[in-house]
Amino acid sequence: MGAFNRGIASWLGRLPTVWVEGEVTELRRQARWASVFFTLKDPGDGACLAVSMPRGQFDALRLDVADGDRVHVYGRPELFEARGEFRLRALSLERFGLGDHLAALERLKRKLAAEGLFAAERKRPLPSLPRQIGLVTGNDAAAKRDVLSTIQARFPPASVLVAETYVQGPRAAGSVIETLAALCRQPDVDVIVVARGGGSFEDLLPFSDERLVRAIAACPVPVVTAVGHEQDTPLCDLAADARASTPSVAARLVVPDLTELLQRLDRARTGLERGTRRALDRERQKLDRMHERLGRAPQLLVERGHSRLEHAAGRLRALSPKATLARGYAIVRARDEIVRAGSDVEPGERVEVELAEGGFGARVEETR
Amino acid sequence: MSEATFEEAQRELEQIVHRLESGEVPLDEALRLWERGEQLYKLCRDRLERAEGKIEELATRVEATREKP
Repeated sequence: MGAFNRGIASWLGRLPTVWVEGEVTELRRQARWASVFFTLKDPGDGACLAVSMPRGQFDALRLDVADGDRVHVYGRPELFEARGEFRLRALSLERFGLGDHLAALERLKRKLAAEGLFAAERKRPLPSLPRQIGLVTGNDAAAKRDVLSTIQARFPPASVLVAETYVQGPRAAGSVIETLAALCRQPDVDVIVVARGGGSFEDLLPFSDERLVRAIAACPVPVVTAVGHEQDTPLCDLAADARASTPSVAARLVVPDLTELLQRLDRARTGLERGTRRALDRERQKLDRMHERLGRAPQLLVERGHSRLEHAAGRLRALSPKATLARGYAIVRARDEIVRAGSDVEPGERVEVELAEGGFGARVEETR
Repeated sequence: MSEATFEEAQRELEQIVHRLESGEVPLDEALRLWERGEQLYKLCRDRLERAEGKIEELATRVEATREKP
C-alpha cells in the first residue's frame, strides 16, 4: 500500500510543471498551517483540482486572493502519500481578474440596484411585537439554535414557526423561495428570518440567486436575513428589510427585550400618574389663588372708601374760613353778626375781630 | 380599541404621558387622558401576559391542515 502510493508519487513527480487556470474556491489559510489550501474550479464544466501552496510563498505574493477570484497557478502535480490524495503543489500564482461568478454577481447587483430593489425607501419597519416569527433555516443545528435560543432568552412569549429547507446546493434557491411563500400563507406570521451559517463563497451563492433576491424583495411581510459571516454580502441581504451579521443578531432584531419592554411600560404608567397629579395640583393652586383674592376683596373696598374720604376731607378743609384767615384776612363781628358793610355798624360801637391766631375787641372810629 | 396593535397602544400611551408632562392640559382633559392611558397600559400588559411562547415546525402544521377534511 505504502509502496504503491510512493510509486504513484514518484511517477507524478516526473510530470512537468504546468500553468493551470481556474477559479479559487474554499480557500483555507491558517497561521499554524505550513501551507495554504484551496480548490481550483473550472467555471465552464465545474471540474475541480485541489491545490496547496507554502504559506510563506502565498503571503509573500500579497495578492489578497479570495474565493471567486480567477487565477493562473504554476505548479507541479503531486500525491499526498499518507492519504493517497492528488493535488497540485503551487509554486507561483497570478491573479487573472474577477471570477465569472463574481462578475455575473456584480452585473446582477447593478441591474437590481438600478431597478430600485435595494433602495432604502423600500425597507419596511419590523413589527415591534411580532405575532409570529417565520424562521427559514437549514436543518444544520447552529443557525437555527442561535436564533431560537436568543429569541427565547430575550422575549419568552414569542411564537416561532420554523421552516426547514435546503440552504445549500442547486435546489436551495427554489426551496427557500417556496418556504418563504409557505410561511407567508400562515395568517399570523408577520416577520420572517432567513438564517444560514457561514460557508464557502459557492455555498452562499443560492442567496444571491436573482429569483430568491426578487422573492425576498416582494415578500408581503418584512424579511430579516442573516446569511454567512459579516464579510459576506449575498444579494439577498441587500433586498431584505434588515440585515443581520449573525443569526443571533437577527433574533435580537425581531423581538424586543421583554424586561426592557416591561420597564418602559411601567415608566409610562408612572409618568401618566405623575402628569395627572400635576394637572390636578395646578388646578388646585389656581383655585386657591382665586379664593385668596376673593377673601381680600372687602378689605380692598374699605381701603378704597377710606382714601376717598380723606380726599373729600382735604377739599373740605381748603374751603373752611380758617384757611382764608391764615392768608391775612380777618372776620369782624358786631352784635354776633358778621359785619359785611360800613353801614352795619355805628361809630363808637364795640366789634369783635377774629384772626387766624386769636383776636381782639375794638371800637368803631368812623364809618364810610 | 381591541384592534389596536401593541405598538400603536404603546405609542399612544407614551404620547399621552408626554402631553400630560409637558403641556398645560386642562383638568377635564387631563382626567380623560389619564383614563385612556390606564386603558392602554392594561392593554399592553395583557398582550404581553396573554402571549405564551411556542415553537412549531411548519411541516407539522401543514400536515395537520391537510388531515382536516
